[in-house]
Amino acid sequence: MFSSKKPTMNSHERPPMCVQGDSGLVLTTDPKPRLRWTVELHDRFVDAVAQLGGPDKATPKTIMRVMGVKGLTLYHLKSHLQKFRLGKQPHKEFNDHSKDALDMQRNAASSSGIMSRTAMNNDRNVQITEALRMQKEVQRRLHEQLEVQKHLQMRIEAQGKYMQSILEKAYQSLAGEGAMIATGSYKDQQNQATMNQLGAMAFPSLQDLHLFNNDQLEISPQLDRPLEDFFPSNEIALCLGKKRPNPYSYSNGKSPLIWSDELKLQEFESHEENLKNNIDHDHLQIAPSIINGGMEMESMSDVYEAKPVLSVDSNGEKYEGSSKVGRPSAPRRATVSTPERMSPMIRGGGLGQTRNLSYA
Amino acid sequence: MQRKTEMEVVDMEYMMELAFSGCSSTSSTTGFGDLAWVDWSPAVDWGHFSVENDFSGLLEHYGLPCTPAAQDWSTNVSPTSTNCPGTPVEEFQPQLPPPIEIERDNNRGLRLVHLLMAAAEALTGANKSSDLARVILARLRELLAEGGATNMERLAEHFTDALQRLLDGVGRHEDQPPNSGEVLEAFQLLQDMSPYVKFGHFTANQAILESVVGERRVHIVDYDIMEGVQWASLMQAMVSQQETPSLAPPPHLRITAVTRLGGSRRSGTTVLDTGRRLAAFAASVGLSFSFGQCRLDADDQLRPAAVKVVKGEAVVLNCALHPPHLPWRSAASIASFLGSAGELGARIVTVVEEAVVVGGSDGSGGFVGSFMEEMKRYSAMWDSLEAGFPMQGKARGVVEKLILGPMIAGSVGRAYRRREESGEEREGWAEWLKEAGFQRIGLSFFNLCQSRLLLGLFNDGYKVDEEGPNKLVLCWKNCRLLSASVWSAPATESPAASCFSW
Repeated sequence: MFSSKKPTMNSHERPPMCVQGDSGLVLTTDPKPRLRWTVELHDRFVDAVAQLGGPDKATPKTIMRVMGVKGLTLYHLKSHLQKFRLGKQPHKEFNDHSKDALDMQRNAASSSGIMSRTAMNNDRNVQITEALRMQKEVQRRLHEQLEVQKHLQMRIEAQGKYMQSILEKAYQSLAGEGAMIATGSYKDQQNQATMNQLGAMAFPSLQDLHLFNNDQLEISPQLDRPLEDFFPSNEIALCLGKKRPNPYSYSNGKSPLIWSDELKLQEFESHEENLKNNIDHDHLQIAPSIINGGMEMESMSDVYEAKPVLSVDSNGEKYEGSSKVGRPSAPRRATVSTPERMSPMIRGGGLGQTRNLSYA
Repeated sequence: MQRKTEMEVVDMEYMMELAFSGCSSTSSTTGFGDLAWVDWSPAVDWGHFSVENDFSGLLEHYGLPCTPAAQDWSTNVSPTSTNCPGTPVEEFQPQLPPPIEIERDNNRGLRLVHLLMAAAEALTGANKSSDLARVILARLRELLAEGGATNMERLAEHFTDALQRLLDGVGRHEDQPPNSGEVLEAFQLLQDMSPYVKFGHFTANQAILESVVGERRVHIVDYDIMEGVQWASLMQAMVSQQETPSLAPPPHLRITAVTRLGGSRRSGTTVLDTGRRLAAFAASVGLSFSFGQCRLDADDQLRPAAVKVVKGEAVVLNCALHPPHLPWRSAASIASFLGSAGELGARIVTVVEEAVVVGGSDGSGGFVGSFMEEMKRYSAMWDSLEAGFPMQGKARGVVEKLILGPMIAGSVGRAYRRREESGEEREGWAEWLKEAGFQRIGLSFFNLCQSRLLLGLFNDGYKVDEEGPNKLVLCWKNCRLLSASVWSAPATESPAASCFSW
């Protein structure tokens, strides 16, 4: 799943794929065979590390257990983890076009590399490697964060689905006790439409508490827009100004945050280019440019994160980035007033809607 | 250079969209969003009300509800986003009550706080008098009846109810009725409106996941499982970690629900329902699962022998002391549960609990101090819900009435009993575990990151504090709401140790 899902992440580091044996390992043909860390193997490694709670928590032993790749030894993992912890990406096949930078990086992979450089009193190289190291470190953190986000999203959805099943059950039994009117149809065939209707009909029990009577009216024209369910009309822009957009929308199969990170990664790429150029010409500018770059990236991320929200126009007519959550709209109109509609992005319920009965 | 032009292009696009999206508001308001909101302050003279220093902190809490708009947006409008789309100043001012009214409300608020304090004191203080307490509570009800429904008044009403229950001696160890549809609905709303519930669930679950990596069988012993809401996401996570085919298959998950012996017939059914529902969910995600139940003794104690542990399984103890988990649990019962960790060979113990401050921040107040701290904490929750969802007053009303109200009753009751039962005053179970020799298990970067991302989905006022390596605290502004901590049993050769040492 992971490696197939993020071609964009790796677009700049994807060489022709290595052919792999059934164990998935590629060894060099040297007299002393070394393991080749292919992109795929590395991805799997990264996944395992993320799963184990990050590079500081993971140990070669646990990684080996989680990866479960035959032929991979503790020795391999130990050195790879060590490099990984230092924020390196020791791909041999990495960025052929930036050999200079890569060489620097390789030298820095071992501390002895750095030592020898400093011994030569070559501050510039240290600066460069340091800059690269920082860059890689940030990249690694970003990657980790993406992983966390992916998992978090699935967990939120799962919890939402489960809550939904409880609620449906509760209303069912409520209906069974005769508190409801139209009880006959759904008992045997639990189809979604009926359940939705049930939800809507069960809701009056809450309305008895004098709830939602007015909100309902305000909201009704904007039924199928997940955000506006919660933020009637003109409050939206404000409330959403910073971070109310649906961060988990599936409009194009990935969340805005992932999207923004991609952009950041592209930034990285361009930095790398700059860096390379700078190495050739004037190294004194390097460090400042990196620092600036970092700051720009910060502010860039703000811009990009805010963007999907702002593309929502004031009438809510056009929800480009944030709300084309692929979910059936028509049958759900009946349930508008139920609170379960309120915040699909938080609960992930919007996505789960169509399938949440499979286990109920 | 190239980068810079890219930036400019992006900026331009951004501005364009702003121009379009902001068309509902006047363009003149866009530029000075920050200034306007930061400087803008309600027409309230706080000095006027700070009769006693003790109250000033509290009043700040109660003051917030009067100006939800200003509070909310002054934090939401970050200094970096200089182009806040549509800050329609003029649109919001009409919503605010005129200053005089605010003043009156605050006066009322202060009176309510005074009366509540006096009632709490009459219940426990040196001049303990239930007659006095009764009179004060009656007066409170009068005041509340004639008043409107400001946040402070609604809050005070719940605290009045809680004190009334203490006075009448109800609700000591009563069984909690199974959650009705309404309560569940409100619980769902609470989950949607605040990170309160998921924060605890996800932090504990992630720690559990990390501690059982590579295990074939995982056995979770859950104290008071209720609807089992915590476990769906764990099941999902167990399955999704295994999507790469070569990885080991997901473990077998077994959950033992620890329940009360004397529980009513209906609550028994609830637990079985929960088991069935969890099993159905596990089946839907393809996880092998089994469910069991273990009853507490007549005095609500857990006998470790009652939990059937199979050799070779990784045992996890989970203790979630937050809603919808409500009052019946006595301290002794929880202690017996946590204390059995060693005997059961639990590799990890997860505890989620309310961030209780015992005896007031100065530590001297006894019940009255604790009572005031509870008011502070709940008013922070009130505030957080309102700040996040200013327009959903009715939804908030449901949550307050069906979830927070009973929670307040529980918290006040516990504060009252804590003094009465144990004499010693401890701030939460984390402290207890430390004293009992439990080891702290550090939380991973993943876990911290996850809670930050989760909070990012809600209002800016939420934050998560790291307290030691093994504890996260969910805060609203500066008020601590809830903590999640992770421990390993004090047994000599903890199996968890091997997992983390290499």
